[in-house]
Amino acid sequence: MTRVLVPVAVLEGGSVSPGLMSLLGTVDVTVLGYHVLPEQTPPDQARLQFEERATSALEDLSQEFRTAGGAADHRLVFTHDREQTIDRVAGEVDADAFAVPGTTGDVDRILVSLSGDVDVDRIRSFVEALVGDRAIGVTLFLATGGQISDDAAGDADTIGTGDDGAPAAQLEATADRLREAGIDAETTVATEGSPFDSLIDAVPGHDAVVMGERAPSFRSFVFGDESERVAAASVGPVLVVRDRRDTDPDDAVERTGDPDDADGTAEGDDE
Amino acid sequence: MTDEPSGRNLDGDAPVAETVVETGEATITEDAELERTIGLTGGLAIGIGTMIGAGIFVFPGLAGGEIGTAATASFAVGGVIALLVALPTSELATAMPRSGGSYYFISWGLGTLAGTVIGLSLWLGLVFATAFYLVGLGYYALDALAQVGIAVGASSGAIVSAIAVVAGVAFTVLNVTGTENAAKLQNGIVALLLSMLVAFLGFGLLEAFGVVAVDTPPGQSESVWEAVPILSVAALVFTSYLGFAQVATVAGEMKDPGRNLPLAMVGSVLIVTVLYVLTIFIATNIFTRDALLTAGETAMVEVGQALLGPAGALVIIVGGLLATMSSANASILSTSRAIYGVSKDALLPRWASRINLRYGTPHVALGMAGGPVVVLAATGQVQLLAEVASFLHLIMYGLMWVALVAIRRDRPDWYDPDFVVPGGPVIPVVGALASFGLIAFMNRLSILVGIAVIAVTAGWYFYYARDVELKGAL
Repeated sequence: MTRVLVPVAVLEGGSVSPGLMSLLGTVDVTVLGYHVLPEQTPPDQARLQFEERATSALEDLSQEFRTAGGAADHRLVFTHDREQTIDRVAGEVDADAFAVPGTTGDVDRILVSLSGDVDVDRIRSFVEALVGDRAIGVTLFLATGGQISDDAAGDADTIGTGDDGAPAAQLEATADRLREAGIDAETTVATEGSPFDSLIDAVPGHDAVVMGERAPSFRSFVFGDESERVAAASVGPVLVVRDRRDTDPDDAVERTGDPDDADGTAEGDDE
Repeated sequence: MTDEPSGRNLDGDAPVAETVVETGEATITEDAELERTIGLTGGLAIGIGTMIGAGIFVFPGLAGGEIGTAATASFAVGGVIALLVALPTSELATAMPRSGGSYYFISWGLGTLAGTVIGLSLWLGLVFATAFYLVGLGYYALDALAQVGIAVGASSGAIVSAIAVVAGVAFTVLNVTGTENAAKLQNGIVALLLSMLVAFLGFGLLEAFGVVAVDTPPGQSESVWEAVPILSVAALVFTSYLGFAQVATVAGEMKDPGRNLPLAMVGSVLIVTVLYVLTIFIATNIFTRDALLTAGETAMVEVGQALLGPAGALVIIVGGLLATMSSANASILSTSRAIYGVSKDALLPRWASRINLRYGTPHVALGMAGGPVVVLAATGQVQLLAEVASFLHLIMYGLMWVALVAIRRDRPDWYDPDFVVPGGPVIPVVGALASFGLIAFMNRLSILVGIAVIAVTAGWYFYYARDVELKGAL
């Protein structure tokens, strides 16, 4: 069963919008109630004082999720580091995706970003499980602006797959697979502007965004996590599909370090 | 886990006790998890950041002024004792990796009276140490003022006290209201200080071995290579080694504590010991005893001036300000954790560990740390503050060895440390004797003040918490 982790700042009035709750009705949910403490405060000290209140709020939330459809449980963590906690718990409950809660009403159409080096197959199977047999439309989005100029420097010709052609073809193939599963799927390709801006430009008309998890980069170090920025800019909720391809860290270094190897891996995924 | 803590204090509160599961990444209680977020680097930064402020920037003038180059031996003795204490702390902390550190081990191993005395002495010892760091900060601020041309006349002692008090109030307020995580800043400051020191000490060593020459002022007084003065200075400068115990106060928040905790404690002691010995060697190589004595708390500024000119003096002043600030700040944080530990066990009123709703910080505990710190800082008594802090810590360290022996003898089921002190009972006995023995070499007034503090904490136990039973409780 597909499982989504929903982190909620449980003691700071964090909540889950009704739209996100019903969107997640087809999957299992783990509500991760967290409370971030300044370093002056030992987590244990906060637990003694706030545990009861937090637990009762979390029980209410997971009850609402169960009412909305799927199975739901909850975890409560007191932490100094929110990202570390989300990573750890997502790994422990083996979540397929985690949510960045945002505000939305009923979800009619979701925007699915396939830009960049993301695990397209995982995203597709997650979207299939999420939509299920509901009448929720899917727009597959691909930004090629900025990507081509980076990759064109590589030896795309010798490999024989036009770098600019492969992702677009993959986009159409993915849309076909979704249609086979009975989902109303459209595609959008943005060829200009930064991938981030064009994704945000594509958001109007959609109620939630699904995107793949990216390895931390210099950009995410400076501007903050990409999913967080998308959530902030689009206002709506974002579901981030976790990348399980590189559980081995050495593998990840190779992938980003060597362009030839990156092409090889992408071809392997197409099979 | 067979002996549950029991009993109630004067307010009718019982110790909080429950079964928890510890993993390398989190502490899992019945309904919640506590994330472990401090890595090895963070642990080392806490230890080193607390320690180098005192040992490098405040003590060289005082210690070198007493006995000259022989002070290197004093710092080495202090380092060996600190290392000896790091061993049982590591063994106990890897068996019970919880916040509160040394206090927990002693209350579990030796019972409530020893626990109360040590828990409260740890709080007050840290208060004395923090006040000492703040006075050191005051001296450096005064020197910084002098460098920018603001000369202070006869009343320099009062100015130092005033700066120390203002800084104490500022740190307390910042810790209550600041919700930004300053851990990364602390790591950066420690890295900056270490690189400054390595460059500075490297140049000093070149000078000492005659590779480069600078003008060293002439002087007649010889170093004092005698056991009693060396040990008496060791007792004074032991305050420079208190920081590693503060690593133990964050044991409950440390990732993979079985590995990182001993490494952070032993590693930080080794690093600072080497730095201290080198610093003293260089300082006493350039200046003779009487010159250092005249320069006092900020003698290192003169050393920097002699080695590298005005730039050297500036580096030392900036370093001294940063280092004493980071020491004081880290100590205030540990103090509030120490108060939380005793309050959780019903040895202090429960309200002492309340958390501020607006900032999420333990404002009562921070106030109980900052209030007395400010009062003590106002005295401006560097030596007394340092020695009383050392006294209270040394009592704790000695008892930690006793607790280690007691817990090993009882061998409760849950006692399964990842790290075991080798050598059976020999090292604990030597360690306890060394810790208690160093106290004998202190100034008489410091010993009296220390004993008075211990007496007050014992009195508090009989008044407030005599019915609380903690021994063997987990």
